Amino acid sequence: MTELVNPEDPAAGLAAVVALRRLADRLEDSQVERAMRAGWSWSEVAEVLGVTRQAVHKKHARRLVAAGVALRRR
Amino acid sequence: MPDHTDVRAILVRAARAEARRDGSRTIEAEHVLLAVAALEDSAAARLLADAGLTESAIRTPLNREWEQSLAVAGIAVRTGLLPEATPDRARDPQIGESTKLVLRRAMDAPPKLGGGRFGPMRILVGLLDTDRGRVARALRAAGVDRTALRAKAAEALAAGTR
Repeated sequence: MTELVNPEDPAAGLAAVVALRRLADRLEDSQVERAMRAGWSWSEVAEVLGVTRQAVHKKHARRLVAAGVALRRR
Repeated sequence: MPDHTDVRAILVRAARAEARRDGSRTIEAEHVLLAVAALEDSAAARLLADAGLTESAIRTPLNREWEQSLAVAGIAVRTGLLPEATPDRARDPQIGESTKLVLRRAMDAPPKLGGGRFGPMRILVGLLDTDRGRVARALRAAGVDRTALRAKAAEALAAGTR
C-alpha cells in the first residue's frame, strides 16, 4: 500500500497526473453545470475558465440541455 | 449466447456505457473490467467474483486508487463526496489507449486466436496482463493478487474457456 503513495516512485507520480485529470474533468463538468443552473451565461463561465465561449459551449451545451438545464443565450 | 458470437461488441457497448456514466471521454481499461464483471453467465465474471471483484465491488478500489493517486500530489479528496455532474447520455466515448493495450494483449494471449473465438476470458487475461495503470493499481488497493488471478484466467483460456 505504501508504494502507491511513494512520491519517489514515477509510477505513483504518473498515476497522480491521471488522477488530477480525472479530478479536473469531474470538477469542470459539475461546476459548469452548477453555474449554468444558477443562471450564468456561457461568456461568464468561459471567462472564469480562461477559454473561449465557443469552447465551453461545444464541450457542455448538449449535456446540459439533455439534463434539462435552462440556458441563457449569451 | 450462441457459440459463434463475438462478445467484443457486447463488451464495448457495456464498457462505453460505463465510460459515459464515469463522465469519461474515452473507454479505458477500468470500464472494460467493469463490463467483464457485469457479464452474466460468463466464466470470466465468475473468476472475478471469486476474487471478491463483483461489478459493484470493483468501484470501491477504483475510487481508492483515485484518492491514493491524488494523495501523491498532496491532495486529500474523498471522491465519494465530490459534486456529481449529470452524465452526457448522447456522448460517444471512443476507445482509449489503455483499452487498445488490453485488446492487443488479449489477442496475443495463447492459444492462438481462431475466427470468432474472442471471449471475455481472453479479455480478462488482457486486462490482468500489466502491472501499470488504474486497473492494476486498483487491484493492488483491493489486496487482490493480480498475478495469481491472471494465471487462473490464462489457464482457463488455455483449457478452452472463452
